[in-house]
Amino acid sequence: MNVGGAIRALISFLIFIVLHYTLRPLLGWRAPMDFLILALLLAAVRVRPSTAAVIGFALGLISDSLAPDALGAGALAMTAVGFGASYLKAVFFADNLVLNAFFFFLGKWVFDILYFIGEQRVHGFELLQQLLLWSPLSAAVTAAVGVLLLFIMRPLLEPTPA
Amino acid sequence: MARAIRSNPRLDLIVVSTCIVLSLVVRALPTNLRDPLATGMRRTFLAPLVMLQERSERGRQSLLQADAKQARIDSLSLNSMKAESLDSENDRLRKIIGLGSRLRWGFIPTEALHGRGVRDETTVILSAGSRAGVSRLSPVIAPEGLVGVVDQVDPTMSHAMLWTHPDFRVSAMSPDGTAFGIAQAHLTGSATGGYLIELRGVPFRATLKPGAEIVSSGWGGVWPRGIPIGTVLEEMKTSEGWARTYLLRPAVNPSDVYSVMILRRDRLAKGFDGVWQSAAQVEQATQRINVSGDSAARAAALAEAAARRAVLDSVARANGGAPLGVTDSANAPAVAPRPAPIRRPVDTVAARLRRDSIANAEAARRDTVRPDTTTPRPGVPR
Repeated sequence: MNVGGAIRALISFLIFIVLHYTLRPLLGWRAPMDFLILALLLAAVRVRPSTAAVIGFALGLISDSLAPDALGAGALAMTAVGFGASYLKAVFFADNLVLNAFFFFLGKWVFDILYFIGEQRVHGFELLQQLLLWSPLSAAVTAAVGVLLLFIMRPLLEPTPA
Repeated sequence: MARAIRSNPRLDLIVVSTCIVLSLVVRALPTNLRDPLATGMRRTFLAPLVMLQERSERGRQSLLQADAKQARIDSLSLNSMKAESLDSENDRLRKIIGLGSRLRWGFIPTEALHGRGVRDETTVILSAGSRAGVSRLSPVIAPEGLVGVVDQVDPTMSHAMLWTHPDFRVSAMSPDGTAFGIAQAHLTGSATGGYLIELRGVPFRATLKPGAEIVSSGWGGVWPRGIPIGTVLEEMKTSEGWARTYLLRPAVNPSDVYSVMILRRDRLAKGFDGVWQSAAQVEQATQRINVSGDSAARAAALAEAAARRAVLDSVARANGGAPLGVTDSANAPAVAPRPAPIRRPVDTVAARLRRDSIANAEAARRDTVRPDTTTPRPGVPR
C-alpha cells in the first residue's frame, strides 16, 4: 500500500470513527450498527495481524472508556477480531460485496460474543437473547451499512493502480 | 480490497498475546484504578468524540421531542387565545359581582342573548322572566351603567330595549345637578364610528365640558337617580336656540353586554347612593383628602411653633428676663411664629450690675438650706 492509499485508508478510518459517535447515537436503534468494527475490519485487511491487533486494542479501549464498567472487554474483543480478520483475510476476503457483508456480519457477531462474555454483566437467558437475537440483528445492520459505505466510498478505498 | 502480505507469524502472536494480556489486565483492574483511567481518556484525546456523541444524543432527543413540543406549543397558543377572552369575561363577572355586592338586594342577575338580525342590535333577550321577579319597565343595568329597559316579560325570559333603540329615552343630568336633559340614541351616524348618545334639551345657560359624566336623574319613575349614562364628547350644533344638545360616549357598549342585572321595582325606591362612584365623586374625595392633609400640616406647624415659643419663654424666665411675649402656649395665636430675635448682650454698666445681682442671688439660693417637703414620720430620727 502506497502513501496515497494509506492516507485514504486513514481518512476512511477516521470517517467511520466519527460516524460511530455521531450517526449511531442520532439514530438510537435497539440493534445499532457498529462503525468501529467496520473501521477495524477495513484497516485489518490492509495491515499485518499484529498491527490489526494493536488497532483493535486501541479502538476497544476507546469504546470501553465510555463504559468504564466494561473497561478491557471491548479491547479484548476487538483485539481478537482485528487479529482474526487480518489473519483470515486471505481465506475470506475478496472483491465481492456479499462476501464483504458476510465478513462484516461475522466480525460484529464475534465481537459481541466476546464482548458480552468478557463483560460479565449479562447472564442466563438475557445473555442468550442478546447473543442470539440482538447481536445478529446488530451484525446484520452493521453488515448492510458497511456494504453501503463500501459502495459509497469505493473511490476512497480502491487500491491505487500501480 | 488491498491485501497485505502476512509475515513473521511469531511476532504477530507475540503482539496479539501482549494486547490480550493487557486487555485482561485492564479488565481485572479494581474500580478505583479503572475509573481514573477511563476518565483520563475521556477528558483528553477522547474529548472531541465524547462531545460529538453528546451533541448527537441531544439532537436525537430534540427530534424525538419535536412533535410533543409542537403539540405543547399549539396547546399553549390555543390556551393563550382562550385566556384573553377568559380574562375579559372574568373582568366582567367581577364587575357584576361587585355591583351585586353594592346593590345588596333587589336585583336579578341574568344573561343577555343577542340576536343576529338587523334590528337585534337594539334589543336583547334576557334569560330571566316574571318567575324571577322581572316586571315590565324594569331597568337593565351593567357594572358600567345603563343598558336598557325591559319591555316584554314572559315567565322564563324577557325582552329588553337597549338604549340604542330609537324609542328609548331617559332623563339625565350632570352629577352636580347643574344641567338636565333627555338622553337618547344618536341615530344620525357618528364621527367616531360607534354607538353614541345625544343629550338633548339642556338649558342654554348650562354648559358641559368634554369628559363630564352624565347620570340618570331619576325623573320619570322608571330609572333611579345616579346610574351612569355616558360622558360628554362635544356639543352638537343644532338649530334650536334655547337649548343645547351634547354628544355622549355611552358608559355601556351594547355589543359587549352579556351579563346584566335587572333591577326590581321595589328596589328603585330605596336609592342607589354609593353604588356607582362617579368621577366627580372621586375628584371631590381627592380634594377632601388634600384639604385634610393641608389642615393637618398647618396644625402640626402651629403646635411646633407654640412649643418652641414656650421653651424660649421658659429660658427667658429662668434667666430673670421678661418672657418673649406669649407665656401661655395654649393661647398662642394661629399665625406662623416669627423667628425669635437674637438677644445680643450689651455690655453696659446697668447690664453688668444686673448680671452681678443675678449671680449673687444664685449664690445665696445655693447656700440656703432648703426645707424638707416630706412629712416627718413619728419615731424616725431626723
